[in-house]
Order: sequence, then structure tokens, then C-alpha cells
Amino acid sequence: MTTKTRWVRLWATLAFFLTVGTVLFLFVYVFCKGAGALSWAFLTQSPQGTVLGTEGGIFPALVGSLLYTAIAVLFAALLGIATALYQVYYCPHRKAAEAIALVMHCMAGVPSIVMGLFGYSLLVLVLGWGKCLLAGGITQGIMILPFLEVRAVKAFQELDPALLESSLALGVSRGYTIRHLILPQARGALVSAMILGGCYAMGAAAPLIFTGAVLLSRVPTDLMQPAMALPYHLYTLLTQGTSPTHAYGTAFVMMLLVLVSNAAATFLTWRKLK
Amino acid sequence: MTTVKDALWRWLLTAGALLSVGLLLFLVVFMVNQSLPALRAIGLEKLLLGTEWRPVIYDEAPQYGLFPMLLSTVYVSALAVLFSLVLGVGCALFLACAVGDRLRAFLIPSIDLLAGIPSVVYGFVGLYVVVRTMERMGRAAGESILAGSIVLAVMILPYMISTCLHTMVQLRHGWQDASDALGVSRWYMAAELVLPASKKGILVGTALAAGRAMGETMAVMMVMGNAVLRPTLLGKGETISALIALEMGTAEVGSLHFSALYAAGLCLLVLLLMINLAFSLLRRKLDREGVL
Repeated sequence: MTTKTRWVRLWATLAFFLTVGTVLFLFVYVFCKGAGALSWAFLTQSPQGTVLGTEGGIFPALVGSLLYTAIAVLFAALLGIATALYQVYYCPHRKAAEAIALVMHCMAGVPSIVMGLFGYSLLVLVLGWGKCLLAGGITQGIMILPFLEVRAVKAFQELDPALLESSLALGVSRGYTIRHLILPQARGALVSAMILGGCYAMGAAAPLIFTGAVLLSRVPTDLMQPAMALPYHLYTLLTQGTSPTHAYGTAFVMMLLVLVSNAAATFLTWRKLK
Repeated sequence: MTTVKDALWRWLLTAGALLSVGLLLFLVVFMVNQSLPALRAIGLEKLLLGTEWRPVIYDEAPQYGLFPMLLSTVYVSALAVLFSLVLGVGCALFLACAVGDRLRAFLIPSIDLLAGIPSVVYGFVGLYVVVRTMERMGRAAGESILAGSIVLAVMILPYMISTCLHTMVQLRHGWQDASDALGVSRWYMAAELVLPASKKGILVGTALAAGRAMGETMAVMMVMGNAVLRPTLLGKGETISALIALEMGTAEVGSLHFSALYAAGLCLLVLLLMINLAFSLLRRKLDREGVL
């Protein structure tokens, strides 16, 4: 074994264990520190205390986050899957399909804070919705739209082309084939993309700061009301710097949601492979 | 009946596609439009190269110079990309060459978990672990460019690893039989064949990771101290995204300050669109060559 080979082996092995160690550390650290704060009351009560959040729980933030995420995923999935279907099955010119793909790939990297600025001006100010659940959810939806579209395109392209061809050859219409053959076949991959996109939206605080998230509110009963969100709640707990226990608890809940949704998405992809 | 339904279906999909592409193009136009007042009043050159950012002053004219923030953004991202290059390429090489297919299928989703962790949680752990450690090592304030780049490096690691791994696994599978037949050791193949041949894949991963690093807001904002200074490794700094997140709430709607923040956002957007465009074109080219 040459010296170079030895160094490369050492470097690769160290890098691998350091990476896996970092993943483990992040989860173990947050779970150990946060477990103490976790209780039924923490999950079901509103934040309280003279400095907000030092007592009570995170119930409105938890529900708020789930609502924002649901709106974002609904918005992005409808538009994203429609765009992907058009790009793959209906686009009359190859150049046009490539242009759509290029726009989506480029926009996938637009920073979340720029999305926040856009949502703030357009939805909150110009359209006059004010800070609300709908404005925040749609801003997040625009953010995850390219992510979902790119994954949906990949899911459709990985299907066997013979599926479409033989169906068309039998005289079945293109629309019927897509609705009854293609979409059910790609369902696992689409749902897994929606879960990962939702996970991404749920964790993003930057688009919500100006469009929907507030320090304290009750669970909203209307789309036009503002709502709390977990990442923003964690951020405010930290900037006040008074209650690390509750901050750890909030981070614990978010990490748990990440773990569960990633596991679900991986499971869906694996099941399809088998 | 079917034909009406199909026509409607087709019409719906076309409308959806037009709406999404239009929405994303509109975003760019809208950002330009919002930044115009600031660009006219301040001038592009002064905005980009000015070193003073004092949006609210009562006795003198306010200053809007983004140069320190631009420099901080580039500084912290470049450093983070460097760290994650060292870690990510090594890790990908190990996963591609030293691990069997079944174990790899389990390890990849585990590492991808890093991409799912919310950036606020990264900021939080960064604040309590990285920043505290630096303070224990004798710094008066641990919030620094270095702390920011360490946190960022972990955040962009999964993007780096997955892109490099994609190339490396293909290369390994292509050469495995020939190497086995010649009795070449696994690590010799990794060091002499797989690593040099995956240069282009690594380049694509770097571009993707750099884009991610520059756009990141919350985590960086929480560990960098946010002082508008000329950035140094152990000093505080403020990125463009942090500037927007911190000041947007207090800027008066329609004021010059408000528009200048949009101009800052536009700078970031243009920077990222350029990186992403290069990244997409490069990937398409490599795809055609069959490298990726």
C-alpha cells in the first residue's frame, strides 16, 4: 500500500466517522437536553410567564406550524405536480420543457429570506392580507414549489415509458392514462416528496418572520389570522435568552417531527423499490 | 364525455405550469421593481461598494453601503464550503468505496437527515455548543465568522455528499470487476481511480453547496453576532440575509431604508441565480457526457 493510498484511507475514514458522529451528536444532544422539558402540559398549553415562554407550553406554535405546513404543501403540490405533468407529458416542444426545467432548477436555490421579502410585499402589503396564516403558508408554498416540481419530474421520468406507450397504442386517451395509470404508479414518490417538502417548510423561519408568525396568539380559527410557528417561537425564546429548558423542549419537538417525516418518506421510497 | 374531460384536464395542467413559471419569473421582476427607488437614489456603485450602513441617522444623511455584508456573506460561505469539501468528499469516498450497497442504502437517508433539520435548530445548537466552546477557549465573545462557517459547513454537508456520492458510486461499479481481476486493493482504487475521476462531480457538489450556504439566514444570524464590520475570522460579521431579517421589521414601508433592504435582497438573488444557472448548465453538460 502506497503512502498516498494510506493517507486517503485515513482521511476518508475520519471524514465518514466525523459526519456520522455529527448526525448522532445533533439528535442525541437535543433529545437528551430536551427530554426534561417535555410533558403533556408542554404540548397542550399556551406559552406563559412574565418573560413569555418561560412557563407553559407550545401548543399554539405546534398547531400553527402544522397549519402553515399544510397550506404550503397543498399549494406547492397542486402547482408543482401540474407543472411536472405538463413538462413531462404535454409540453409540445423540447426546448420549452428544458426552459421550464431550467427555471425550476434556478428557483430552487432562491434564499428563504428573499421569499419572505416577496411574500411580505406582495401578499401582506400589496394584496392587503396582513400578516396571516394564508400569507405565511403561501410564501412557504412558493419556496418549496421548485423542490416539489423537480422531484415530481424525476418520479415521472423514472416510470417505465412502455406504460404510456402501450396505453396510447390501445387507444386510451393521454389524460385517462395519466390519471389512472401514471399518477397511481408515482404516488409513493409524490407523497414522499410532499413529506420532505413539508419538513423543509416547517423548519423555515425566515419566510414567516414578516408574513405570518407572531410572538403569541391563540390557535387561529380563520385563514386570515396570524399564528405562531415553532421555528419562530424557538428563535424568540433564544433571543430573550431566559429559558433554555423550554428552548430545548421546542427543538426536541421539531427534531422529532423531522425524524418521523424523514423515516416515513424513506419507507415510502423503499417500499416502491421492493 | 372523455374528450371534454381530457381537454379540461389538459387545460388545467397548462394553466398550472404557466402559473408556477410565471410566479417565479414575477418574483424576480417584483424584486427589481421594489429595489428601483433605492438603486436610483443611492446608485448601484455606492450600494455595492459603500462601507457604511447607517440607515437611521437624524443629523446627517443616512448611509447605505452593502460592502461589509457582501464580504461577510462570501467569507463565511467560502469557509463553510471549504470545511464541507474536506469532510464531504472524504465521507462520500468512504461510502462509495468501503461500504456495501445494503449498508449504504441505510446510511444515505441517515446523513440526509442533516438536510431536514430546521436552520433555527442549527443556530440553537451552534450557539450552545460552537459559540460556548469558543468562549471557553478564551474568546470574549464566541460569535464569529468562524462559528458561522462551522455551523454552515454541517448544514451544507448533505448536499455535498449526495452529489459526490452519485458520481463515485457509478465510477466504483464501473471499475470494480477490472480492479478485482487485477488484484488491486480497494483503497488503491479509491485513491488512484475513483477520486481523480470524480473531479467534475465534486465541482457540481461545490456549486450546489455554495448556493445553499449563501442563502442561509437564521442559523448564521444566530451565531455570527451581527455587527456591520469588515469581516475577520474571529470577529463578528453580518450577512446580507441576516441584515434583511433583522431590519425589515423596523423599516418604514415605502421609505428609502425599506427599498434598500429589497436592493440587498436583490443582490443576494442575483448572486444565487448566477450560481444556480452555472450549476444547472454544468450538470446538464456533465449529464450528456455521462460523467454524472
